Amino acid sequence: MEKSVLKLDKGTTCTAWNYCGQRLAAGSVDGTLSVFDSPDPASSSFSRSSSVKVREVGISKVVWVPPEYGDAVACIFEDGNFSIWEEVAEDSLSVQWKLCEFFKSSSSKVLDIQFGVSPTSLKMVAGYSDGSLKVFELTNPLELKNWQLQAEFQNVIDSVSTFGKASCLSASISWNPVRGEGQESSFVMGFNSDTPQLNSSKVWEFDEAHQRWLPVAELALTEDRGDRVYSVAWAPNIGRPWELIAVATEKGITIWHLNLSPDADGRLPVERVALHSGQEGEVWQMEWDMSGMTLATTGSDGAVKLWQSNLNGVWQGQATFLPTC
Amino acid sequence: MPEPDGGELGPLSSSPTPPPSYPLRHSLRSPLSPRVSLCWCRGNSLRVSLFSQPASEVEFGGEVVELKLNDGGDGEISNAQWRRIAYGSVSPFAMLQSRRNSFSSLSKINSSPYHLEWWEYVMEYSKDINSLLGNPKSSKNSLIEDPKTFVQKSEEPTCLKAAWELMEMFYADKLSQPWLPERLVDWLADYDSLFARAYGTVYSKLLNFQNELINLQVIEDDPRYWEVIASALAVGWLEIVVKLLRLHGSYQLDQLSNRETENGLVEAVAVLISKMPRMRPELEPRRLGECYKAKPDFIKAWEKWRGQINKLDCSAFWIQCHHVQTREGLRNLLQIMLGNMSSLSAATSHWLELYISHFLYVRPFTAGLESMYSLAQRCIQLKPMSNSHKLMGVMIGILGENTEVVLAESSKEFGPWMAAHAIELLTAGSDEAEALLREERYSLGEISLEELHRLVYAQVLSSHALSWQIAPVYLSSCLKQGMGLLEILLYRQPVPHKELLLKNLEICRLYELDDISSNIMKMAGVHHWKHGRKGSGVYWLQQAQDEFRLNKIAQLLFGSVGKSISDESFKQWEGLIELLHSESKAAGGLEFLLKYRDFKRLLQQIGDGKNDVAAQQAVESLMLLMKNPSTPQRFWLPLLNDSLKLLNWQDRPLLNVSQTNLLLNKLQELSIARLRPHFVKPDFPMEALNSVRLSLATNLGRAILEE
Repeated sequence: MEKSVLKLDKGTTCTAWNYCGQRLAAGSVDGTLSVFDSPDPASSSFSRSSSVKVREVGISKVVWVPPEYGDAVACIFEDGNFSIWEEVAEDSLSVQWKLCEFFKSSSSKVLDIQFGVSPTSLKMVAGYSDGSLKVFELTNPLELKNWQLQAEFQNVIDSVSTFGKASCLSASISWNPVRGEGQESSFVMGFNSDTPQLNSSKVWEFDEAHQRWLPVAELALTEDRGDRVYSVAWAPNIGRPWELIAVATEKGITIWHLNLSPDADGRLPVERVALHSGQEGEVWQMEWDMSGMTLATTGSDGAVKLWQSNLNGVWQGQATFLPTC
Repeated sequence: MPEPDGGELGPLSSSPTPPPSYPLRHSLRSPLSPRVSLCWCRGNSLRVSLFSQPASEVEFGGEVVELKLNDGGDGEISNAQWRRIAYGSVSPFAMLQSRRNSFSSLSKINSSPYHLEWWEYVMEYSKDINSLLGNPKSSKNSLIEDPKTFVQKSEEPTCLKAAWELMEMFYADKLSQPWLPERLVDWLADYDSLFARAYGTVYSKLLNFQNELINLQVIEDDPRYWEVIASALAVGWLEIVVKLLRLHGSYQLDQLSNRETENGLVEAVAVLISKMPRMRPELEPRRLGECYKAKPDFIKAWEKWRGQINKLDCSAFWIQCHHVQTREGLRNLLQIMLGNMSSLSAATSHWLELYISHFLYVRPFTAGLESMYSLAQRCIQLKPMSNSHKLMGVMIGILGENTEVVLAESSKEFGPWMAAHAIELLTAGSDEAEALLREERYSLGEISLEELHRLVYAQVLSSHALSWQIAPVYLSSCLKQGMGLLEILLYRQPVPHKELLLKNLEICRLYELDDISSNIMKMAGVHHWKHGRKGSGVYWLQQAQDEFRLNKIAQLLFGSVGKSISDESFKQWEGLIELLHSESKAAGGLEFLLKYRDFKRLLQQIGDGKNDVAAQQAVESLMLLMKNPSTPQRFWLPLLNDSLKLLNWQDRPLLNVSQTNLLLNKLQELSIARLRPHFVKPDFPMEALNSVRLSLATNLGRAILEE
């Protein structure tokens, strides 16, 4: 059932596959970004096509930029800065990875970055260790260096609530994967922090008319609002009447239905359809498959778990995979 | 009735609690960090990155392992064969779908008795699919008349084919309904060997005996001889029984005279067996028994046949038969034919065999599914299964008339291919099953079970580079969510590979997915543009009608052309513009660059401001540019600014009144456009606008005077 695809270099800390699964970007502890390619789409043998020392600081996360904007990645560094690198051939030189933009964070560290494609532009959300969110927008679709800060806000429903200086350990962002016209950009975001108001996952939607981001839903029961959120994942929707979002908190993995037609207050109705405490410890990553029918999770117990809904709409653990030599 | 357990319908096929645990094998020798990274690639293959602990002395820092979830390979059928089946089933499936569409519209307007019933189409489909699953039935009879061979060891049948035929006979083949028990007899004859591995079966008994036959001197003395004959008779393999009986020693020429009575009894039994009445339309050549199509005829013949057996059973000849084994063995055969329960039970191994023997000898008049399920349960009680067999769930679901169980079991045991294709059989001509499987369910996201299984299968197909191209056929038959999944599937194909890209676009065209098509072309355009293939980049962006990016490219070129007008590099840009022009098929946003190049050349020629002819040509060129709708509005002002020299021509006004008015109008349009929300500001200072306006006004004045 399993097959080795490739071996990673010593010191590799993170990996990310591109949109089609033909390229793997791997970041390492010494600041090297390696890219592995498969020459033929039918083959599953991969070899390294490039290796660039992007900084003297370790890379903690690599995120691919959507393919409409080229072959590019964002690298988050251990010191909380991040940069965007792109594969280009300039002035008749051969193809190479080049730095597009370096984002220096002054006081707070960047914890997660995710890109969202809207019909008109590319947006990038970054979550910071002080509990803030920044949304950047690309001004020229052909140049990954021109980013404009579109908005900066905190992950709270009620903007007047006050709290002391937040300290966040991790952040998780997931865009609504929809790509069609006529739908507003939206994403879900949760924090793992010491400030309860920031933690719970909120769905943010861009209000085109007023050019601002609005919190339209909160994915937490009233009593769980302060729970630390480890990971969020918005499922692809191929035609379900509701959106499906997985949220991992300290209580376990929860799965939510989100209705995209707002109620009278402008909020999107939500319903928690599952709570599973199957994964030991923290959940670090959750990924939906292409149809949004299967959720894969992994966390501090090192196991890979798969979750599916049965015919009655009840979510169940389907299988657990434990790495074995 | 067994209840549907409701689960196991996703790409994985089981849902027990707690979920089963599997090892995820890797080849790293060092201790692993608990951090694991996941990514779903192609369909339902999951790529897992495992990392070595940072401090450890290791050769590799980690490994990426690909997990294929339910790719169909279950050991019985190789992956290559699965792909052959997958490819082969596309056209029967597509044909049936198109027939369904025309059938439903036809049956509304025309209830002609001449057109085929729906199940007949399904049968055609079923036969096509069945032919992909393996060779036609192996005959239990030897074709080469080797007297000592009665079981042919032909190609191993598969459970997949067995399950398919089972569903076909119970659901789709309406003609076989009156003689289902006989169909089951034939089915078991074909597939009894499948159970041999897990249980002792009649087939395995026969095979073992055949292997030892060569060593036996006096066959009728061996109790196993009579055992295997009884077993074969119990499950209705009459040809084998008769063939075996004729191996009896009493047939040998040197013995015939001494064992006349014995031989007469053996032959009498053999004749009775070969005359057994069968409730079926026909028998293949070489098969024994007498066929009856109508039930009354069959009942009459059956009673007569039974009478003959009874008569033989009570005959005085048995006393004259001195060979004990023969006497006992033959009388046991008579008991089997008379439906003696204990003889039947002793002669059979598996419950299915006992079940079949019931239809043959105890309840020969059974028709349809009546009480088939309770009989199966009784047989299972008598011969319990020590471990479950792949086929049992499907079989019991069928007998229990529970379509949902049949579907769930066939999905669990045989994977998504089976579920997606077998639904056609299950719904053939049954309104109830159709309602059950085609009803939209809220819990499934408002799709039906049928659609769910097709989606799951399409996702499995998408997992492989060699099979994703056939997924669209199944997705297009999913009315609610098929196109959604197809869009994602197409979006995830690599664009740098030209053949794949063209294939991808072809699929988009076929299913009218214009948005996806233009998105894919956009991705290809950006990829080529960024990788130094500017011409291809522009070509694909033009195909995608991505005016936004093309304008950016045009702007880039415009800027470069403008800047380098006196440079050597102008030649380079000229080349690119030429290239862009040759590739542009439609009047794209770039066509004006070509005209702009000409305009720039003319401006260059004017040089010191003395060349009247060149200046007049430059004016013509400017007017062409300004009138041309493909000239982006953003370039109007830079163009006019470049033309200041022409507007302020010393000798005479180069532009006449109407030309100047046109330019003034353009300038006015530009000022109004500035007020619109989506206006893109050119990188031009406001002074430029003013000086252009002033020059135009001056020129207008001069032109009026001139005219």
